[in-house]
Amino acid sequence: MNEELDSQLSAMFDDELAPGECELMARRLSRDEQLKARWGRYAVVGAVIRAERGVRLNAPLAGRVSAVLLAEPALTAQSVPSIPQRAGLRWWQPVAATALAAGVAAVCVMWLHAQAPGYGASLTAQLSAAPIRSDTPVIPASVALSAGQPDSYTVPRTPKTLPGVVPSTELANYVVAHSMFSPPVARRNLLSAFMTSEPAPGGAEEPQGNVKKTTGP
Amino acid sequence: MSADASDLSLVRRVQRGDKGAFDALVLKYQHKLVKLVMRYVRNPAEAEDIAQEAFIKAYRALPQFRGDSAFYTWLYRIAINTAKNAVVSRDRSPIEYDLDRHNSDESYEMQGRMKDSETPEGLVLTDEIRSTVNAAIDALPEDLRTAIVLRELEGLSYEEIAAAMDCPVGTVRSRIFRAREAIDRRLREVFEGGLGRAEELG
Repeated sequence: MNEELDSQLSAMFDDELAPGECELMARRLSRDEQLKARWGRYAVVGAVIRAERGVRLNAPLAGRVSAVLLAEPALTAQSVPSIPQRAGLRWWQPVAATALAAGVAAVCVMWLHAQAPGYGASLTAQLSAAPIRSDTPVIPASVALSAGQPDSYTVPRTPKTLPGVVPSTELANYVVAHSMFSPPVARRNLLSAFMTSEPAPGGAEEPQGNVKKTTGP
Repeated sequence: MSADASDLSLVRRVQRGDKGAFDALVLKYQHKLVKLVMRYVRNPAEAEDIAQEAFIKAYRALPQFRGDSAFYTWLYRIAINTAKNAVVSRDRSPIEYDLDRHNSDESYEMQGRMKDSETPEGLVLTDEIRSTVNAAIDALPEDLRTAIVLRELEGLSYEEIAAAMDCPVGTVRSRIFRAREAIDRRLREVFEGGLGRAEELG
């Protein structure tokens, strides 16, 4: 064995060898009996310098342990816990976290968009151009029932609106006009929300206007 | 440089089924472990038995060792528990750690001879090993002797020794290696001669 390898063995004994070199030296050490004997003598030198008295320096302890382990089964890779396997079971965690973050971000964007100053005005403009107007004929519920038409709701306009705020009445009418495209339950919930959120004129607790509701078959 | 990398590389080999790598770990730590166990039991022979049991327990538990702590720290805990269990099961109280007693060469010599009296050649060999190593250390150039003593006695890292000796780390590594080689040349003769004498006695 050359001097460089001996030097590496000495450094490895002191835990001063680079990990990559340790791997190679460990392989040599486990197979080469002469190298192992030298390694054992390095330990003896250390024990003498530390004056480890009472400890037999020529004790056959290593040989006895080795003899006992001959009867032991060799350890296998299966018996060693594998960290990558445990990590593999958690693949869904980053996916779920990403989906949750994307959902929260989408809600935030929608909320910010709704809070923008021009949003209400543009919606008001859309509503003014909507087909529902004051002169739009209101179909009585009884007629609607008899004609086999879907549920219909009529909410009268409120005379006064704040700038930039869409009156609930207009919004409700808009929803009614497009009720063909929404399920009845969602429509009902939306209208209920409009009525409860709109301030009642005159301090009345009940929403003003006639809310005619007919339930479909 | 990662601490404990050499032990970990040997441990990984054992975990992959290489029993020879475990021999290297036993050779490296057997003296430290026996010394540790002797804090709990009086008889050196019993300390060796307990150390042997600790090594075998460590081998069997090695699949659970993940390297979160240093191997010797893990082995140390196993040895302490094994020693405590041995003391309890044999209904013996652990000896108190008496500094004066531990610093007394005579006391340790007596303890050592309790076992060595069973094997006279072992007693001679132990004394011969000790005197040979000490003589070899005395014969070393001062820079080599200082480096090996700082490493083995004080437990300093190469970097710390380099700072203490005001030299590069590579020089420290070379000095420690040359010191070990000089001592090992003499020690090898003792071991080979001792084995020859043992065979003659056998």
